Amino acid sequence: MEPIYLDYAATTPVRDEVRAAMAPYLTETFGNASSIHRWGRAAGDALQQARARVAAALGAEPSEVRFVRGGTESDNLALLGWRRAVAADGALPTLAVSAVEHHAVLDAATSTVEDGTARVDVIDVSPEGELDTDRLRHSLASGPALASIMWVNNETGMVLPVAGVVELAGEAGAAVHSDAAQAIGKVPVDLRRVSVDLLSATGHKIYGPKGTGLLFVREGTLLAPLLHGGGQERGLRPGTEDVAGAVGLATAIELAVEELQEEAARLTELRKRLQTALLSTIEGIRVHACGAERAPHVLSVGIEGLPDGSALLMALDLEGVAVSGGSACMSGATKASHVMLALYGPDDARATVRYSLGRGSTASDVDRAARATAEVVERMRAA
Amino acid sequence: MSRVLVAMSGGVDSSLAAALLAEAGHEVVGVTMKTFCYSETKAHSNTCCGLDGIADAKRVAAAIGIPHYVFDVEEAFTRDVIDDFVSEYAQGRTPNPCVRCNGNTKFRDLMARGRALGCDLIASGHYARVRHDSGGSAILRGADRAKDQAYFLWGLPADLVPRLLFPLGELTKEQVRAHARLLGLVTADKPESQEICFVPTGDYRDLLRRRLGAHPALEPGAIVRLDGEVVGEHDGYAGFTVGQRKGLGGGSSEPLFVLEIRPETRAVVVGRREELLRDEVVVGELNWLDDPPRPGSRVDVQLRYRAPTAQATVRTVEEGLTLVLDEPRPAVTPGQSAVVFAADRLRGGGRIERAGSAMREAAATK
Repeated sequence: MEPIYLDYAATTPVRDEVRAAMAPYLTETFGNASSIHRWGRAAGDALQQARARVAAALGAEPSEVRFVRGGTESDNLALLGWRRAVAADGALPTLAVSAVEHHAVLDAATSTVEDGTARVDVIDVSPEGELDTDRLRHSLASGPALASIMWVNNETGMVLPVAGVVELAGEAGAAVHSDAAQAIGKVPVDLRRVSVDLLSATGHKIYGPKGTGLLFVREGTLLAPLLHGGGQERGLRPGTEDVAGAVGLATAIELAVEELQEEAARLTELRKRLQTALLSTIEGIRVHACGAERAPHVLSVGIEGLPDGSALLMALDLEGVAVSGGSACMSGATKASHVMLALYGPDDARATVRYSLGRGSTASDVDRAARATAEVVERMRAA
Repeated sequence: MSRVLVAMSGGVDSSLAAALLAEAGHEVVGVTMKTFCYSETKAHSNTCCGLDGIADAKRVAAAIGIPHYVFDVEEAFTRDVIDDFVSEYAQGRTPNPCVRCNGNTKFRDLMARGRALGCDLIASGHYARVRHDSGGSAILRGADRAKDQAYFLWGLPADLVPRLLFPLGELTKEQVRAHARLLGLVTADKPESQEICFVPTGDYRDLLRRRLGAHPALEPGAIVRLDGEVVGEHDGYAGFTVGQRKGLGGGSSEPLFVLEIRPETRAVVVGRREELLRDEVVVGELNWLDDPPRPGSRVDVQLRYRAPTAQATVRTVEEGLTLVLDEPRPAVTPGQSAVVFAADRLRGGGRIERAGSAMREAAATK
């Protein structure tokens, strides 16, 4: 039997249209976008077109789109770049981050505490997707502050109330960053309607190339670069531009936004089908963030009576079902996820499985995955 | 063919074990145990279980086309192996962490997770054989007597033995390397790991200092003869093991050996080689892979890795195993293993609690 890939939230294959769009910029149109000559102009023109396409897809101005080298870099630039830019005022700035942020945000924030350059408040999130707004309001009230609240949580698919955060921050005069890596192409992200100041996205979650990403920087937002060198990306991200990557990212975003409605409806149906199958065949199973609004592509469940969540993922892999627990980590060993800790507390002993659906997913895939899960769970409980 | 879980350290032995099982047509699943926090230590590349070991195991698994996973056993390993290692030295004993790991951590975890992964069989690259026949299953010494590792396996759960495979049991180290080269395994010429995996620098006293802080085991004490005569000073009894030859400058021209460590006075007792001989061994923390021996029966016992087997008579079993050796042996060391064999067959073993000397006592009462 063919193995089944249900880990699209971890990464996706580059789609044909993206690869085709990129190809010329790897070979014939290879110039350095900053060069004066025709090679340079051709590359520079492609880069600006890519920027305009990204801006149009997200409801931004081209001048507000900075290309960076991935989601992690984008998050770091947002938090640390903002912190650097406001530090000049003298007051200790505040970073208010939700407890379920990606480690790229959480660890960037923590690093500022370690070097004493910012204060960090971690804002609780309920399993229903509600932020502790009292805490957030309090946190943003004193001195310069940036709230960093992700648009869609990567481990559970939970949609966070970014629009509400923008409103609340507006009252306090604080800035808002949102990591939208899992949101683009899954839920509407329109920067004219939700006026965050900073927004991060990456190519490889939406069938674009790995190592590509962007940071949206709303006109007038304070931000300083973290790297130094040439003046590329308006000085915010020096380094010779990855034109092929930018073209790939732009194509991927354009297609993701164009196909959003249809694909989201299809994935929602598949996710419901998977959820029904799992709930009807496995005792002691819980859907994570069940009461929250959820993005269509993620289904995270917690299964009782299995002391070892990592063994469950390995067993599923051996049965040909590729899924995740939470975030993947360097050595491949797994530990309790900070998201599950934040949502359900430290005494909640369940094995977590995250199924994430994508363009290649079919009804037969989710049926087989549900069957395999039930079989493996039964075997593990008997062991 | 059945699904086999094979423990891969990233060394040549377990690499070839995995390759041979795959060659034989088994559905092989490779795992590497992550045993301790690597960031705590710097120089770790020469030990079997470092992150490099994980990377090498992954490369080999990819090359032979089998899945590979990392089992995080850090918590259990710290508790059952490292904490025990430190506590044993603090008590003036000489621990055997590899025995402890095999019996308490590694194979128990392999067994539990193997079940979860649907693996009927558990394999490792140990130089030992396992015999499955109508009479049951038994672990035997490896064919390569120079490498034989059955000694390290006495603590395994008895109900695991029927599910064990040791693909290298009939091979010599040279044959293993040659075969690994033939298959082009990246680990074919990797040097042997000599150190204890969680003491990559080789200086275990450094680990003790970090874990124990200020402790009598690390403070100076007297070096004394059996009659109480002080012949020198040492810088912490944790640095000594029974049988260790202690070259003392000046006073004594004869070679002296550590006879005993007395934590209560911090004294290290030294003496002549013949004073080292013991013929009575009291063994605790027993584990039997088949029926325990009966009092009065004859057994073969191995008291150190690579030491020749000694013949012994079992005096007591129920109230703690006491063995009387036919011939006295040097350096019977508390904390080390007493491993019981019947010829090649591993029967079980335990930890040496103390050693006595019927001869010495006889001499003392004269």
